[in-house]
Amino acid sequence: MTRLTVSSSPHIRQTDSTAKIMWSVVAALTPALVLSGYLFGWRALWVTGLSVLTAVVCEALAQRLRKTPVTIGDGSAVITGILVAFCMPATVHWYVPVFGSAAAILIAKQCFGGLGCNIWNPALVGRAIVHVSFAKDMNPSSYPVVHVEPSSSWLSDVLRHFTIDVTAAGDAAATAVDAITGPSPMAILKKGLASPDALVGSPAEQFTHVLRGQAPHLWDAFWGNIGGNIGEVSALLLLAGVVYLVVKGYVRWYSPALYLGTVAVLAAVLPLPLGPEGARWVWAAALRSGPDGMLYPLYHLVCGGLMLGALYMATDMVTSPLSPRGQMVFAVGCGVLTVLIRLYGGYPEGVCYSILLMNTAVPLIDRWTRPRVFGTGHKKPAPGASS
Amino acid sequence: MARTFRGGVHPPDGKAATAGLAPQRIAPEAALVISLRQSMGAASAPLVAVGQKVLRGEPIGKPSGFVSAALHAPTSGTVKKLTTMNDPVTGGKVQAIELEPDGEDRWHDACNQPRAWRDMAPEAVRQAVADAGLVGLGGATFPTHVKLTPPKGTAVDTVILNGAECEPYLTCDHRLMLASPGEILEGLDVFMRATGAPRGVVAVEDNKPDAWRALRDAAADLKHVEVLALPVKYPQGAEKQLIKAVTGREVPSGGLPADAGVVVQNVATAYAAWEALAWQRPLTERTLTITGDAVSRPGNFSVRLGTSVPSLLERAGLDAEAVGKVIAGGPMMGLALATIDTYTIKGLSGLLCLKSPEMFAHGPCIRCGNCVDACPAGLVPSTLSLLGEAYEDTQLDALDAAMESGLMDCIECGSCAYACPAGRRIVHYVRFLKAERRKQLARERERKSQQQAAVSK
Repeated sequence: MTRLTVSSSPHIRQTDSTAKIMWSVVAALTPALVLSGYLFGWRALWVTGLSVLTAVVCEALAQRLRKTPVTIGDGSAVITGILVAFCMPATVHWYVPVFGSAAAILIAKQCFGGLGCNIWNPALVGRAIVHVSFAKDMNPSSYPVVHVEPSSSWLSDVLRHFTIDVTAAGDAAATAVDAITGPSPMAILKKGLASPDALVGSPAEQFTHVLRGQAPHLWDAFWGNIGGNIGEVSALLLLAGVVYLVVKGYVRWYSPALYLGTVAVLAAVLPLPLGPEGARWVWAAALRSGPDGMLYPLYHLVCGGLMLGALYMATDMVTSPLSPRGQMVFAVGCGVLTVLIRLYGGYPEGVCYSILLMNTAVPLIDRWTRPRVFGTGHKKPAPGASS
Repeated sequence: MARTFRGGVHPPDGKAATAGLAPQRIAPEAALVISLRQSMGAASAPLVAVGQKVLRGEPIGKPSGFVSAALHAPTSGTVKKLTTMNDPVTGGKVQAIELEPDGEDRWHDACNQPRAWRDMAPEAVRQAVADAGLVGLGGATFPTHVKLTPPKGTAVDTVILNGAECEPYLTCDHRLMLASPGEILEGLDVFMRATGAPRGVVAVEDNKPDAWRALRDAAADLKHVEVLALPVKYPQGAEKQLIKAVTGREVPSGGLPADAGVVVQNVATAYAAWEALAWQRPLTERTLTITGDAVSRPGNFSVRLGTSVPSLLERAGLDAEAVGKVIAGGPMMGLALATIDTYTIKGLSGLLCLKSPEMFAHGPCIRCGNCVDACPAGLVPSTLSLLGEAYEDTQLDALDAAMESGLMDCIECGSCAYACPAGRRIVHYVRFLKAERRKQLARERERKSQQQAAVSK
């Protein structure tokens, strides 16, 4: 008789594992990465690769220092690396992703005890840190934009785009024939609505002017044919990835749905500051401005960091609440903060800080939304009362 | 009425290998070693001396206290010695009686006689159940007469027979329901009479439609009995969850099923109650499932108490070289045996023999929330496991935090650990914390009694 194994029940487990979940998230992010390579060239892949490499090396290093098992195989550092890179334009200097990923892993994750113990989403901490440290790299006045026109040969198209040199944003237009540059759509929106023109006509006219005239076409913005950060341009592919994660059961559908829904509703109904310094406030401007006005909340959804944040960062298991009710509170809170920052704050973009703030509130949310323990809280039903 | 409960998981059921196999009756041949600890209450006290001849059904152990069970000779023969054996429930040593069968397998004169039990008063029924040594055969082995005696101030209006058999791999209750639906319903009648409950329910999981049909047909003429098919979900057969699913009532935290007006008994216990009341046959035999990938001839076996487990496993075709884990009971709540050198007891519902036991990496909690979704008790299992680690790490206030988080409401069903992608040993930590809590309470009692002693001096 061989020796028998003795262990606590249960003796069977479902087949998911931490590594399986993490690598599935990596897989879900891959389509957006491939499109970035197509739109912004090898530079986007190089920045992402460097970021991932830094994250993995830092994780291994920190775990060696902490004398804990090295778990770089579980894919969690890879996700952080990808997400840090996804938050920056392809034109950043090489040391920006390196610094961002190192800060994410070393400060935000390992200093707090590694996987499962961090309070804030590591990638967002990395983003916040490089945002203030390398403001010029992170907020270029213009992003490389590749306007893709239908071409006779799909393959030659792809190859051509992968070879675009976009090392310097300003030079991109000059060096590549079909690459031009422009500000990010969120900045266009914010700037357009804050221009003195907004005080002259009706809000509806202003929406038409900004959304139809200055901003990229909504469809282009949806699938990714716009300027922006590496991983944030294609709402479509980010959504496709998250559908996969929802089907696999690794993301709960209501979490991103509530975040996005909250942003769309609030962007439509909250008073919108128009003109310089928000001289004129209009309640429910989008709702009252006809079809073009209704485009406004949609731009909020598909542009900027919202999709990436709502689908992949606010759904980060470690830094979001445990119970379904808590996750709902968390998602709505993220949505509210995002809109408040975007409409009334100094930044055109509010996703990063809204999620970090809600991360901070997670222990409190967990405390408030503890499930009801079976057999408590209810009035004791009299025997025979039900059935 | 929603026939379900919160949480739960859907493990693969593994029942196909044995669900179609009627139990084989194993005659007592070799020496039987009968544990004196057959219930979760106090162990019985031996009533026989070495060398004494006994007949089947003759009492050989008497209950020590109310929460304890009587014990009877499983066959006729001679008491060889008073000995000890490995307890398949606790893993420790336990007192036992070794009985050499004489091969005649003769019933004691007072046993195996028909009895007109329907004329008996509820107290007499309860006494007869106690005298027959009945314990909960689902595996919990709580003395049946205790459950049939609701505390003062509670009124039981429903008896639920638990035929859910939600543990994967086990099929012995399934086969019993198919073979003896009428007897099981008689047993239900015994319980209803003992408790005065006007309503009886038999609850079966709907993955056993044949058993449900058999019981429904047998109950066709019974006005006060309902046979329910409940949706498959583990732990459907957990007492409180079953009550919730069937009646919509919740047993209050820390309370008994009687506080919700319900008594729950396993279908096998009901069958044993019928035997005890209608035929005066004490509990000396039970059916168990032997299965798993390390046995070549899995099946259900009706065995006498004290049957040697190695001989049973050999009969089932155990691959002694390949077996890596033997579980007493099912895979969700069963106990992994350190040795198969033991003997069957009343509470042994199955032996699951697995070749290569899965080793689960105990990784850090990634707060995915799967355990919160799975927990039928409404707890936050991940927190409890973290508190268990903290307590182990000498953060002693973690125990108080765990108590606040509902530690004692955990039913240890294992749904959380099943659902955990990080492979955390959640149930292990809960049991650890519960044991520490019991130690803490014992220390407090000790201190109080010392103080009182000091005061009275």
